[in-house]
Amino acid sequence: MQATVETISNLERRMTVSVPVQPLEEEVAQRINRMARTVKLPGFRPGKVPLGLVRQQYGAQVRNEVLSDAVERSFNDAVEQNKLRVAGYPNIEHKPYAESDGKIEYIATFEVFPEVSVADLSKVKIERPVLEIGEADVKKTIDVLLRQRATFEPVKRASKKGDKINISLIASIDSAEVERTDANGLDLVIGEGGRFPAFESELAGSKVGSNKVFEVAYPEDHKPEQLAGKTVSYDVTFNSVEQAKLPEFDADFARSLGVEDGDVEKMREEITASLKQEVDKRVRTKLKEQSFQALLDNSTLEVPKAFVNAEIGRLIQATENNLKQRGVDLSNVNLEPAMFEEQAQRNARLRLILSELVNANGLQANADQVRAMVDVFAQSFERPADVVAWYYADVKRLDEPAALATEENIVEWVLKSAKVADKKVKFDDLMGNV
Amino acid sequence: MSALTTQERLLQVIVAPQITEKATRVADKHQQIAFKVRTDATKPEIKAAVELVFKVEVDAVTVVNVGGKIKRAGRNFGRRKDWKKAYVSLKPGQEINFAAGE
Repeated sequence: MQATVETISNLERRMTVSVPVQPLEEEVAQRINRMARTVKLPGFRPGKVPLGLVRQQYGAQVRNEVLSDAVERSFNDAVEQNKLRVAGYPNIEHKPYAESDGKIEYIATFEVFPEVSVADLSKVKIERPVLEIGEADVKKTIDVLLRQRATFEPVKRASKKGDKINISLIASIDSAEVERTDANGLDLVIGEGGRFPAFESELAGSKVGSNKVFEVAYPEDHKPEQLAGKTVSYDVTFNSVEQAKLPEFDADFARSLGVEDGDVEKMREEITASLKQEVDKRVRTKLKEQSFQALLDNSTLEVPKAFVNAEIGRLIQATENNLKQRGVDLSNVNLEPAMFEEQAQRNARLRLILSELVNANGLQANADQVRAMVDVFAQSFERPADVVAWYYADVKRLDEPAALATEENIVEWVLKSAKVADKKVKFDDLMGNV
Repeated sequence: MSALTTQERLLQVIVAPQITEKATRVADKHQQIAFKVRTDATKPEIKAAVELVFKVEVDAVTVVNVGGKIKRAGRNFGRRKDWKKAYVSLKPGQEINFAAGE
């Protein structure tokens, strides 16, 4: 086998490979001999078909098989010989068989893995959010929990913010009716922002059974658009006004949240612990985002088209699945590959950089790390041991935790080489926007 | 005979080559080739037809009438058509290559 490699562009290579025919012909003959023992043709008992007939019937097919095998094998050999790393699939063109004397030749065009050079990361600044969970944060969380379990009781006084009211309303624009509630009325809690703020503030200050007529002017950029820029007059009847009553933070409350012995202190601890976990997760996500971005920004490489295309395919697939799950009829949706180009480019780049890093620095997650990751997954289930067992029952299931663990290793590695600055953040800032 | 010209008739005489274990054995042993032919074909006709179609020289023809098999499906009996088989001996040095004709 002989192979010559030409460089077409940075990543593209053209390889001309020639393979001697002699051994291939022998292979064909051998296969036909083997076939003759089992082949069936009308007029002959199985295995009694003369060789000539078998060759006549199956020769072309066998030859094709042998050829494509040979092409594949010789291509792999050639790739190995020339120390190429092929990305994606080669495009193989056969030269006509007759022209070659004693040899078959073909031209394979393919892309190679790019050289990935990760630049010096030591100038990269990465912010590590630092957050101590204080008493106040715990209290805030508890408050939210309390409010979620608030009960409401009717009051005689005028409605105010935080009250739950039930109203019947008739809305009209230019005395044309646009909305009317049915017999059940409309339940809402004043000040929760479920409605337009100006509308909600008008609802405060009325007693049960009273009636109020008012107008609300919606701004131009209001959503939904039917109301944008319109002045709507409302005729509201108050059917009920109820005041929120927060449960006591006590043993009963603890029990209702699943702390069985009703120990308030224990519950407080549990809340703190879960907050810590959550914060930890967010911090890690932030670090990962920054690390990956830093890698993307500081690496130079050309991404093989084959990779980008594969990535585009994957993205389209994912989008389609997503749409299908939401019940969108796919026949109406036309997903253009161009829509995913940029994202795919980025993903493919990142993938290449990461795999390069992992190989170069031995960042592959080891068994302990994978195990730790699985344990983390399992923690949130009721019977963690079963979950762990499930993961280990099939090697494939470990792919995900292994990938995550490897990613963590990469982040660690980046953090080690980059400048990491601690930055104090507020609880709400960290938790709010992810 | 029919209104067909001789040549058209000859082209219809040979129905199919008979490719079976027995036929290949005979071909090897006696340099004979077996054909399915029309039941009303005569030896001279077959000779002429083979010479016309395969451009070879025929030495001799022997024929055999093969009775159609009786086949039954449940209660119903059916009879397959009778047919005629011809063994054609070629003159020495002659050969028919079916692969090329197919």
